[in-house]
Amino acid sequence: MLFNSIDFAVFLPIVFLLYWFVTNKNLTLQNFLIVAASYLFYGWWDWRFLSLILFSTLVDYAIGIKLMNVEIEFKRKALLWTSVLVNLGLLGLCKYYNFFLDNFISAFSFFGYEISTYSLNIILPVGISFYTFQTLSYTIDVYKRKLEPTLDFIAFAAFVSFFPQLVAGPIERATNLLPQFYKKRTFDYEKASDGLRQILWGLFKKIVIADNCAKYANIIFDNSSNYSGSTLVLGAVFFAFQIYGDFSGYSDIAIGTSRLFGFNLKQNFAFPYFSRDIAEFWRRWHISLSTWFRDYLYIPLGGSRGSTSNKIRNIFIIFIVSGFWHGANWTFIVWGVLNAAYFLPLFLTNNNRNNLDVVAKGGFFPTLKELLLMISTFLLTVFAWIFFRATNIKHAFDYISEIFSSSFFTFPVFDQDDSVKPLFILLIIFVLIDWFGREYEFPLEKLGLNWNKYLRWTFYFIIAFAILLFSGGGQQTFIYFQF
Amino acid sequence: MRRFIFQILVFMFFLSGVFIWICSKADGYTDPFYIRFTTPKQENLILGTSRAAQGLQPAVFQTILNKQIYNYAFTVAHSPFGSTYLKSIKNKIKPNTKNGTFIITVDPWSLSSWTDIPNDSLSFRELKLCLSNTNIVNLNPNPFYLLKNWNDKYYKILTNRTTKMFLHTNGWLEVNFDMDSITVQKKTEDMVRTYRQDHLPNTNFSANRYTSLVETISFLENHGKVYLVRLPIDSQLMEVEKELIPCFTNNIQNAIDMSSGYLDLTKQNDNFRYIDGNHLSKDSGKIVSEIIAKWIRTDMALTRNNIFIDNSASNNQNNLQ
Repeated sequence: MLFNSIDFAVFLPIVFLLYWFVTNKNLTLQNFLIVAASYLFYGWWDWRFLSLILFSTLVDYAIGIKLMNVEIEFKRKALLWTSVLVNLGLLGLCKYYNFFLDNFISAFSFFGYEISTYSLNIILPVGISFYTFQTLSYTIDVYKRKLEPTLDFIAFAAFVSFFPQLVAGPIERATNLLPQFYKKRTFDYEKASDGLRQILWGLFKKIVIADNCAKYANIIFDNSSNYSGSTLVLGAVFFAFQIYGDFSGYSDIAIGTSRLFGFNLKQNFAFPYFSRDIAEFWRRWHISLSTWFRDYLYIPLGGSRGSTSNKIRNIFIIFIVSGFWHGANWTFIVWGVLNAAYFLPLFLTNNNRNNLDVVAKGGFFPTLKELLLMISTFLLTVFAWIFFRATNIKHAFDYISEIFSSSFFTFPVFDQDDSVKPLFILLIIFVLIDWFGREYEFPLEKLGLNWNKYLRWTFYFIIAFAILLFSGGGQQTFIYFQF
Repeated sequence: MRRFIFQILVFMFFLSGVFIWICSKADGYTDPFYIRFTTPKQENLILGTSRAAQGLQPAVFQTILNKQIYNYAFTVAHSPFGSTYLKSIKNKIKPNTKNGTFIITVDPWSLSSWTDIPNDSLSFRELKLCLSNTNIVNLNPNPFYLLKNWNDKYYKILTNRTTKMFLHTNGWLEVNFDMDSITVQKKTEDMVRTYRQDHLPNTNFSANRYTSLVETISFLENHGKVYLVRLPIDSQLMEVEKELIPCFTNNIQNAIDMSSGYLDLTKQNDNFRYIDGNHLSKDSGKIVSEIIAKWIRTDMALTRNNIFIDNSASNNQNNLQ
């Protein structure tokens, strides 16, 4: 079930009413409703994949309880590795098996050996990379004794399958989300209103910004050999807005929906395109994944301690793994390497924590230096997105080589009927609203709250109207579902 | 909580109002089908595929028969004979109709399936299209149709004003393509090639569809008179059709016997002009509509197994050229 579908528009109010009016007096029943609703939500795509979530839930629940009763370190480690192997094994089988197989065959062919193997015809289960990491965080935290294992299976199943963030995050930590299932939730008007505003903004980002940018990004990337360098730059910029609108839009809807049910999820995007360097960008982009890798991979590897070569190794590992997490393609790995290369100079010169605050905090206009830094960081990011979006490495290099040709200095032409012009206006409005609200979790959190009631509601209505106008044409799926 | 729900309901009420307003702006330019789901239930219908949708003009029937015969024909993909089309026809017809006039156009393609197992009704192509998913066929505006079938952004409903196609409120699909000989010849060649190379090898006569045609006639006979018509097409395309079902008239004899008359106009294929070999031009469509209307008006229609030849058709051909 997609957030931007009629199905979800029917599903959400029904679950909301059942949650607050039917099951509100019994916490277990309320949690059970969340599990049932989540399984329905997920099974809407393909009910067969529910078995994977259930299996993952049972394994980690059982291992969590075992860890509670085992004191011997060797046995605890064995339990932890069982969870890691089961979860990553499923993920690897579904997502990476064919990639490794293809590369294995290619490597042997290179040396003149022809080998025959069996590739698997597996459909990648939606959101497997997200819920796998979420369940893993639980087991690791229990192993590290940061978290008491739960005995409440319904609460645990609800934590693993919580429908707002099940298929595309934010990847929640058990330490944050699981305890919320133990406590009675009471309806909070302010929180629910906040949630609705965040859903509204998320839908705007997805339907108005991302889907419209996608149209042109797809035209340009899919026919890149036909376009000039300047047009290809525009295509990459469209993709940058597409992926931001798409993914952060999903996160906004997920967080907003959770608020309707009395839950608090972590902020996943903090206006990353207003970053002044790459380090800041990575503190603001897909925060739940970055911090997951930081806590469960980077720090265990030694983090920023040890020799310089170790530090460099750790930086590259975390970025390469992050790239590979996105998909079984060399393009994602190169994207990771490129970001590591961007990040490394800042890290080695101790400049990676220069910009911890929001840009132009308390004011409206950035300084010229800040503006130039934001533009240069954005362009570096756009350049890296070319690898992320390209179908293969050759496509990416062809794309880039055309950008750095003389055709870069021609006027971009790709749209015969000029229908792209309104998109530029929408992008300007979008960036301005994001800029106005950059000090908050999402722009509509505070924007307009001090206005006259009628003006404020008109503002919300205009956003909803824009969403309506740009809806239709079949449901556009979210990019991050494939990861 | 009460305040929260009240505010949402008010907000959604206004938003729904806006959506209905957008839907109300949908018209004959919106798509080639929408209007047919917005008009009232009908007593007289023209049925078939795009040949009938573009070729048969209700205004002509109105003039000659003094009857509004609504064009409820779609395309060979949407409305081949089958349970989907029959269900939609049942929804579109006024329940108490007794003296209706129903013109059903038939051809080999509308009785065939594009699958290896031609009687596998679960894989019929129309199941995922608008006739299958639109149960309310007489609501204006019809948001249910647009929600399920509109394949573009909703704002395009407000801006879409193509001059090539226009669906009239009487169901006739007016098509204004270039009719110069070079364009027509190229389109005809493309059409013949597509039908011969792409469609013919993958198409098989479907007994299941034929049974549905018989059921459709049987159902409509309860509401009035049913006339079967085979519309003219370009002679090159006719040759392809002969390869698909060589003795078409013999194959549907049972359906012809159940009807009030059968008019085969393919004997006069060369008397008319086509925009692409498959669909009649506007001028020829008007003439064909006149021929059919006059045929229905006369007692000739009551003569079974008779091919009615209207001499005025050949006279009209001279006017067209």
